[in-house]
Amino acid sequence: MLKYFINTAFLLSCFVSISQENNLQPNDTIIKNKYGLRVGIDLFNPVNTFFNEDRKGLELVGDYRVSKKFYVAAELGYMDNTSDEDYINFTTNGSYIKAGFDYNAYSNWLDREDAIYIGMRYGFSTFSQTLNSFTINNNPFLDDLANTESGQKFDNLNAHWVEFVLGIKAELFNNLFLGFSFSGKKMITTKEPDNFKNLFVPGFNRVFLNNSGFGFNYTLSYLIPLYKKEK
Amino acid sequence: MTSCERDDICIDEITPNLIIRFYDFEDQTKTKSISQLSVKINGIENDSLFFSGTDSIFVPLKITGDNTQFVFTVNSNDVALLNRDTLSVNYSAEAVFVGRSCGYKSIFNNTTYDLTDDGNMWIQKIETITEQIENETTAHVKIFH
Repeated sequence: MLKYFINTAFLLSCFVSISQENNLQPNDTIIKNKYGLRVGIDLFNPVNTFFNEDRKGLELVGDYRVSKKFYVAAELGYMDNTSDEDYINFTTNGSYIKAGFDYNAYSNWLDREDAIYIGMRYGFSTFSQTLNSFTINNNPFLDDLANTESGQKFDNLNAHWVEFVLGIKAELFNNLFLGFSFSGKKMITTKEPDNFKNLFVPGFNRVFLNNSGFGFNYTLSYLIPLYKKEK
Repeated sequence: MTSCERDDICIDEITPNLIIRFYDFEDQTKTKSISQLSVKINGIENDSLFFSGTDSIFVPLKITGDNTQFVFTVNSNDVALLNRDTLSVNYSAEAVFVGRSCGYKSIFNNTTYDLTDDGNMWIQKIETITEQIENETTAHVKIFH
């Protein structure tokens, strides 16, 4: 699946590089940037659901341009994920919100609105964990490992984290954008269940041993232009 | 991407084994090695465990139920000298979460020991070091012989 992202990313970078080759800037035209609210949907989880039934999720994305380079950005999502490990099987279910900013490091040609950006987010999630089944790991000599059905539910859990985002956005048609981003995450604090652990958090994904995580987004978004400002 | 989510293997401590230290009944401060000790766990199909020339052994405890019964046979290679004693270890097992790759382990609380007196005992005395078996850092019980 990663191959398709890379292909698309490569394709998008071609668009960008073509536009770079032409440096002509007519003196008698005033170029204006579009300012407004961009709203969209993450395609990664809906597409991923076809290949991986254990993960279902939906994420809405949005950003609002505040200056030539800066955008206030937020994501709102829901996720239901079942993790199947060697000795435990559990389902994480909950919603999350992320808020922060993006900085567009790319200088556009004429009135194009493409972006190669870096950003930061503060993430917060409330969720529950259900321990579907577990195995008590004993000396293999006894050969008495048994998978025990549990169904124990841990409610009212939460997590706070920060993430760094690296992404690109390309304007496919007028006001319609396709974007791809990668995020590296670091957990700040979590409310942990008793005698279990938050090994997966909605919006954060798998929580690695050093409390870090990562994620991909593949978004389709639409810019609702509110006003134009001179470049 | 799914492949890198299963990269860790279980390396943490799982359910602790019972660690038995053998002491000299005549001089109870001294350890005393056992010779040709075979350990059979009742209800387990596997072969016996075998130890010799050591004063410290570890044996697994069952996580289902609240008791494991061991048959300790010394000098097990010599029909004339062998001596069988039955030791029952009783406890309440508690499941404790370890981590993603290991799942859960058991710890054993309120551990007690019952020797079956068959009139010909090689085990003279048992002394509990700790009633709570949580790890394998030190011995849990002393057997004097």
